[in-house]
Amino acid sequence: MKPPKFEYHAPTSLDEALDALGRYGGDAKVLAGGQSLMPLLNFRLARPAALVDLNRVASLAYIREQDGQVRLGAMTRQRTIEFSPLVAQRLPLLKEATRWVGHLPIRTRGTIGGSIAHADPSAEYPAVLAALEGEVVARGARGERVIRAADLFQTYLTTSLAPDEILTEVRLPAMPAGAGYALEEFSRRHGDFAIVGIAAVVVRAGQRCTMARLATAGAGPVPVRLRAAEEILETEGLGEAAIDAAARRATELVDPDADIHASADYRRHLAGVLTKRALTRAIGVARG
Amino acid sequence: MGVGLPRLVGARVARREDPRLLTGQGSYVDDHRPARMLYAAFLRSPHAHARIRRIDASAALALPGVAAVLTGDDIARSAKPVRAASKTPNVKTTSYPPLALGKVRHVGEAVAMVAAESRYVAEDAVERIVVEYEPLPVVRDVESALDPASPVLHDEAETNLLVSREFARGDVDAAVAGAALVVRERFRFHRHTPVCMENRGCLAEYATGSGALTLRSSAQCPGLVRDILTDLLDMPEHLIRVIATDVGGGFGAKASLYPEEIATCVMARRLGRPVKWIGDRREDLLATTHAWDEIVDAELGLNQDGTIVGLRAEVIADVGGYSIYPWTAAIEPVQTISFLPGPYRVPTYRGRARGVATCKAPLGPYRGVGRPPAVFVIEGLMDRAARRLGLDPAEIRLRNFIRDEDFPYKSPSGIVWDRSSFTESLQKAREALDYKAARDEQARARAAGRWVGIGIASYVELTGIGSAIPVSPGMPVSTGTEAATIRFDPAGKVTAVFGVASHGQGLETTLAQIVGDEVGVPIEDVRVVHGDTDASPYGTGTYASRSLVLAGGAAILAGRSVREKMLVIAGHLLEADPADVTLAPGRYAVRGMPDRSVTVRQIARAAYSGAKHLPKGLEPGLEATRFYDPYYGTASNATHAAMVEVDRATLEVKILRYVVVEDCGRMVNPLIVDGQVHGGVAQGIGAALLEEIVYDDQGQLLSGTLMDYVVPSACEIPMMEVHHVETPSPVTLGGFRGMGEGGTIGAPAAIANAVADALAPLSIEVAELPVTPERLFRLTRKAGA
Ligand SMILES: Cc1cc2nc3c(=O)[nH]c(=O)nc-3n(C[C@H](O)[C@H](O)[C@H](O)COP(=O)(O)OP(=O)(O)OC[C@H]3O[C@@H](n4cnc5c(N)ncnc54)[C@H](O)[C@@H]3O)c2cc1C
Repeated sequence: MKPPKFEYHAPTSLDEALDALGRYGGDAKVLAGGQSLMPLLNFRLARPAALVDLNRVASLAYIREQDGQVRLGAMTRQRTIEFSPLVAQRLPLLKEATRWVGHLPIRTRGTIGGSIAHADPSAEYPAVLAALEGEVVARGARGERVIRAADLFQTYLTTSLAPDEILTEVRLPAMPAGAGYALEEFSRRHGDFAIVGIAAVVVRAGQRCTMARLATAGAGPVPVRLRAAEEILETEGLGEAAIDAAARRATELVDPDADIHASADYRRHLAGVLTKRALTRAIGVARG
Repeated sequence: MGVGLPRLVGARVARREDPRLLTGQGSYVDDHRPARMLYAAFLRSPHAHARIRRIDASAALALPGVAAVLTGDDIARSAKPVRAASKTPNVKTTSYPPLALGKVRHVGEAVAMVAAESRYVAEDAVERIVVEYEPLPVVRDVESALDPASPVLHDEAETNLLVSREFARGDVDAAVAGAALVVRERFRFHRHTPVCMENRGCLAEYATGSGALTLRSSAQCPGLVRDILTDLLDMPEHLIRVIATDVGGGFGAKASLYPEEIATCVMARRLGRPVKWIGDRREDLLATTHAWDEIVDAELGLNQDGTIVGLRAEVIADVGGYSIYPWTAAIEPVQTISFLPGPYRVPTYRGRARGVATCKAPLGPYRGVGRPPAVFVIEGLMDRAARRLGLDPAEIRLRNFIRDEDFPYKSPSGIVWDRSSFTESLQKAREALDYKAARDEQARARAAGRWVGIGIASYVELTGIGSAIPVSPGMPVSTGTEAATIRFDPAGKVTAVFGVASHGQGLETTLAQIVGDEVGVPIEDVRVVHGDTDASPYGTGTYASRSLVLAGGAAILAGRSVREKMLVIAGHLLEADPADVTLAPGRYAVRGMPDRSVTVRQIARAAYSGAKHLPKGLEPGLEATRFYDPYYGTASNATHAAMVEVDRATLEVKILRYVVVEDCGRMVNPLIVDGQVHGGVAQGIGAALLEEIVYDDQGQLLSGTLMDYVVPSACEIPMMEVHHVETPSPVTLGGFRGMGEGGTIGAPAAIANAVADALAPLSIEVAELPVTPERLFRLTRKAGA
């Protein structure tokens, strides 16, 4: 498990990084925390001609609030997010999701940009990006563009980022004050990728629900927004019957695949179970 | 043993090896980098079954930094194929070439070997070797392997049925036919693998001047490896040295000889340069022996009062592509039928075992060998019977245990159990659990709609096997003895050398405790040397819960020999009759006259100071080598009790409580006993709930990473309550019984029974392990939940 030969670049600025990336005509890979890329290289499943290491590009690691969004530089470590007061205050769902990502040493290296660019269908951050209707900023030779969550994830491990583009920033709208939230997930072992995970956000006004958000991890090739289930809550309120109906609807909305850990049927079942649990907890913490 | 000496044996002495190991000061294979060393990598088969038409290594050899490429044909010219022979009829002997010869029989089988200046270059070269395969139909499981139309893996065997064996006692058919109750089940214990922290690896050095070969290997049995290399490489035994100083776990999987060890030796001898191979995790999951993988059809007949009248079982093991050395393909299935009757009086019995070759990695020993499935089966049947008869699971066991008056008890498979504490262990487990309170709690949980269950598993385990019985059926290699050398230096410090090898068991501590007590020195003054065939007297290694029994027994014998001489020398120095000299802490004194004494150091110095300091005619020096053979061996037993909850929604199994009451005889070090139990139970929990080696129909390994082969982490392992019953073995020196494997033997059955008990309201039985959330999902849906 040693990677084949590759060229290695360690730029200190984004422009240098883009320049290096551009030189290989799509045959170079960006190295962020390495927590997903290094295993791929070692298994020789990825064989890029070059790696462009972003770890010395200091300008890509930040968390700040701007225009009602929390903006996170792509190289912000998951560990930093876990302990950021700003994230805790404005994006408590992201904080909660982070605790489900791997283990401490993985979060210490792993980055938010890497997790989203890698687009593992079981990963938590893509589900959060979908649930909060976030967007990412990509820079390439042709300039900068903003990609909405819905347009980013295409299928397993595949995004609409071009090979010579770098994801520079993740933008998540600050959650409304008092919004309820929860990320419920089932995995066979602590710290593993989710078999199924559900991210939920609810904004309540008494028993009414003014906004519901539900997104999946592990229930298909990309994170799925469970819009029809959200609508049940938005029309029927936050009572137990509505939660049950939404959970039932969730099982119909997902089209999961099978692997050696879980059949499609079991995953579908879990989507319902976890939707109910996530909603129940989210409603429990919602104020308003 | 001297009166009043502080006893090391029995004390909770902290493991002496830990500071070294935990601070990175260990001496593992990969810590060694001799000058001019080359790195090896193996080309492994992508096919489960294929003929090799042609191998072209020219592009690999052309790569700068590549020293050599070996193929099966090359190896065949300098090493014999391994043949694991058995004296048992109906166990076929088949060849296991170090590199595939003509044909591959499982995905991951080594086909070619590269030695290069770095592992990177070696792996680049591996990719450049061109192999022309002719794929053959895949023999994917035991059922299809036994189909007469199935392709045969080993032509020389003419069948895929490599092993068949039967044990029988009495007229079991009549007994079962006349039984008031018969419970039957098809049990399935899936394929597992131990996953050692340190992957396998080895480093061979051939000294062209002296013709000596040194192999460092991450192996449990340096002696066994040395012996067989002599034969395979056609070299004299005294020129081969095998070293396994620090080994990061073995669990049985490193007790067998591996192709890579032979190939690495051949490469080093051919090139006259050191060659190192360190297996990576992918290779470990593909090509380290797998375990268990059995289907057991079993029937238990009982009287109305719950006493057993007969047991019938058919065991089929999927032994994979090769019969491994020295244990053969028989080890797993035959052990299973050997131990199926458990700690019970089983008046009539028939156990049939078959071992069937398929296109998977070879099956080998793993902590418990045969017993984890056997205990799963018999304990599962006991619970089924208890439910049908309306008996408490503890009660039905108590009614059937071999009683004190029955010992020594000959089991239906011919094993003789010495005095054990079956009843006492179960009683104590009931108390530890507060059985009544636990059942009440279960009833309350059930009333609240929760799925909570309690499971019990009792077992007995043959340990410390001596020369009367082969460790694996019909094995021609005798493994019934071990030796110890105890040597004092003139300063009064002790070096104790053993042929066993420690790979996590804490033998450097426990053996030092025994030695210290025998010769009267503190533990700091004893250095234990092990795992080096050049340093040690003849021995084989560590496996089958034998090391403390055999090496500990040898330590007692050698210690006694040395002590007798010390008493003689002390008598001389003290001008007293040696018979009047006794051992006191750190010194030898005249009985009743503590002031008249000499220190151990004075005695040791005298021993090396020539005739003037020694009694007339006494040979100088202070050391002894003694061999110990416990002849039959002994037994350990335990009862495990688990309380679990099955999450009704996610079907996840949570372990609420876990109690172990074990009896390993006289405990040398309760701290280490507890540690062994903890680790064993953790592996048993993995086997019960999480771990499974999965191949697809084409023989491709689907569980090829640790993301997919799910071993438990600390978070999945509950706090365990470990209690002890200490019944010294009546048949071993020191009263020790082995105990390295027990945790893994009891846990799968206890958890399976607890899950079944939790789901009893749905009439769900657990007949398949691991009992994963997916399996529980299907079982509960079928039951209409
Ligand atoms: C044992 C283990 C358990 C894990 N468990 C989880 C888990 O439960 N949940 C979870 O979500 N993740 C888990 N992970 C993955 C982890 O979160 C990774 O950190 C994450 O998937 C990738 O982030 P990274 O920064 O390490 O990216 P890298 O591994 O460096 O890169 C991943 C991919 O993204 C690309 N990339 C990275 N950054 C950029 C960028 N800025 N622009 C464009 N492309 C980019 C790379 O080229 C590469 O293709 C686990 C990892 C391990 C090893």
